Amino acid sequence: MNALVIDFALVWESLPAMLNGLWTTMLVTIIVLVLGLIFCIPLTLARMSSNRVFALPAAFFVMFFRGAPLLILLYLVYYGFGQIEALRDGPLWFIFGSAFACAVIGLTLNHLAFMVDVVRGSLEAVPAGLSEASNSLGIAPRDTFRYIQLPLAMRYGIKAYQNEVVMLTKGTAVISVITIIDLTAVANEVFERTYDPFTPMLTVAAFYWVLVNVMRLGFRRLESHLNRHHAAEDARRNEKPVKTIGSLLFHPSSWLKAKRSMLVARKEHAL
Amino acid sequence: MEISSAEFWGYVRQIGGGAVVTMQLFVAGFSLALALGTVIGIITLSRNVVIQAVWRVYSSIIMGVPSLLVIFLLYYGGSAILTGLFGMSRSIDVTPFGAGLTALTIVYAAYVAELLHGAVRNLPKGQFEACAALNLSAFRAWRHVILPQVARLAFPGLVNIWLIVLKDTPLVSLAGLNDLVANAKIAAGATNEPFVFFIAASLFFIVFSALTMPLAARIEVRFNRGLARVNT
Amino acid sequence: MTGVAPPQNEPSLSSSIAVSMKGVEKWYGKFRALNGIDLEVRRGEKIVVCGPSGSGKSTLIRCINRLEPHDEGSIIVNGIELDGSPTTTQDVRIEVGMVFQQFNLFPHLTIMENCTLAPRLARGATVEAAERLARRFLDRVQIGDQAHKYPSQLSGGQQQRVAIARALCMEPRIMLFDEPTSSLDPEMIKEVLQVMEDLTDDGLTMICVTHEMGFARRVANRCIFMDKGEIVEAGPADSFFEAPRSERLKTFLSQVLH
Repeated sequence: MNALVIDFALVWESLPAMLNGLWTTMLVTIIVLVLGLIFCIPLTLARMSSNRVFALPAAFFVMFFRGAPLLILLYLVYYGFGQIEALRDGPLWFIFGSAFACAVIGLTLNHLAFMVDVVRGSLEAVPAGLSEASNSLGIAPRDTFRYIQLPLAMRYGIKAYQNEVVMLTKGTAVISVITIIDLTAVANEVFERTYDPFTPMLTVAAFYWVLVNVMRLGFRRLESHLNRHHAAEDARRNEKPVKTIGSLLFHPSSWLKAKRSMLVARKEHAL
Repeated sequence: MEISSAEFWGYVRQIGGGAVVTMQLFVAGFSLALALGTVIGIITLSRNVVIQAVWRVYSSIIMGVPSLLVIFLLYYGGSAILTGLFGMSRSIDVTPFGAGLTALTIVYAAYVAELLHGAVRNLPKGQFEACAALNLSAFRAWRHVILPQVARLAFPGLVNIWLIVLKDTPLVSLAGLNDLVANAKIAAGATNEPFVFFIAASLFFIVFSALTMPLAARIEVRFNRGLARVNT
Repeated sequence: MTGVAPPQNEPSLSSSIAVSMKGVEKWYGKFRALNGIDLEVRRGEKIVVCGPSGSGKSTLIRCINRLEPHDEGSIIVNGIELDGSPTTTQDVRIEVGMVFQQFNLFPHLTIMENCTLAPRLARGATVEAAERLARRFLDRVQIGDQAHKYPSQLSGGQQQRVAIARALCMEPRIMLFDEPTSSLDPEMIKEVLQVMEDLTDDGLTMICVTHEMGFARRVANRCIFMDKGEIVEAGPADSFFEAPRSERLKTFLSQVLH
């Protein structure tokens, strides 16, 4: 066996397949993200609505698709769709029957459930005083939402959104299980061919790492662009760094709740 | 689909066995990650340049890579790693459980350590200053003042990690572990009832998560006793 | 003792009443924030509301523009009764301006945009008309040269002056001030009080919750002392400070004026 852990000849040879896998991974991620952005606000509004007709189903949706592990969700969608006769015999089977669609659907459902938390937390992080000021000026609630709450929520939620996007990207590794040839599937395939456990895994790991960090860089630029007017507030905010970096990487709601308690403590200061 | 009642319960029993395996993996994995992560977290608080560099590299890699890959890497390459590390003449077989446990430990220890760092960083500096003013030894300061508060600040993040590790355990089934999900998949395939078994499997995790929340809230209340509530 | 109502001879004079509160009660759960409030504010009057914290002063004025809904009693603002429907609420809010303790400027908008947003959205003004209006009031509070800046680039005193201008851009007939200087560093309080005093010549009805007793003496027509959700004493500014009648007010004044 080679003295080196990584067989670079093998890397070179597998590169085309890996690039294809990378493309599939990126494609799935982007589609899920777009679908997530489209549906997250209506879903969050439903969840936050005082009308139980909307709030209860939304709450169940979030509880189910957030609590269930992604792998089981994928199995459920992939094997379950075949059982639904209406789908199987229907005209759209070429969509619902494809592994790719099942992966997208499963990932999107999971992603949306987490996004509800991100959006809700972001909206709640907007200081109540701003909405009060807007309302007291005579601005209708719908306009208050559109011009004040939403733009500010987007700014407050960027970190939490970034974490969710990174989680999603890493989570796509599972779709290799339902026959989709993504990066992880390529790694497995190369291993099965060559019995070299390190080269394919480490190389694919490197691909994921680069992908994740490119995303992180992109978000950092987005964040500094959004924050260009808020130098003073951010300087103040940087005195007391975010509650826990760990929860930064995870569950958006707890981070934003922490942020909210910090904001409450800081209500003494000017915005 | 018609299957005999006996068959059905047979599968249920198998799934139950799988659930036990899942729980074992989860509890062991979380505990080890917590322990290792705390140690790593405390060590990497040091300002030593080398330690900082190693930590940066390690944490960046671990957090930039899917845990599934780490599981595969350790499962497929585990015996090679072990013989490389310990230079034994015969190779040791790595079980899915072992690989999964190691993977979960390594990955989530990094998150725990990062969490600790954040909590320490968020501690009001006045606490350290007060300890210095009171002339407390470093050990005493950490043991009685700093660490308890760090625990309080880090607790919500730990609950998050708990939930995430829980939902990561099914991935080990892809390395061949005979856990809840693996058995559910077998049962679903054999009986052609994917909805029944996969929804049941999902409910296992959902219910477990739902049960930890009130428990966590209670612990958090206990942590926060003595602290004034901010008036909104 | 409940509030003093100015003498009212004929019903047609009710148009001279800016705010009328009768029997207003408000609870937060079991806590009674407002207890039987009767108050009438004449158009153009300047009222200062003072009292210890938790006395319900903020709650009182926040009920006037329905930032807080009252549980019992009636509140009539400029002839419109606050009945909880969105339309009446919005109609009232268009005519009532409010300045907050925390300024509450919109951080993602420039000063100019802060001021033009409400006229454009709530009154349907064009951008040019709104900007002309904003210029006028920003110059009025002496901050016209900062119109292109963002709130985070201004000091606290400057931000509060912008907040006043922003409220004025809706050309309200009633202005509410909820402890406008309580969040300011001492050296900036004067500039904001100056602006508020300057407004008193405009015929605006002003209701101000504040601890600034000097300002109250200079500016107020009537002063109201609240404690534990009730109006304990109310009267013309002079007799309020010179000859307080109730024990509670005497105690409060002795604590506050030192």
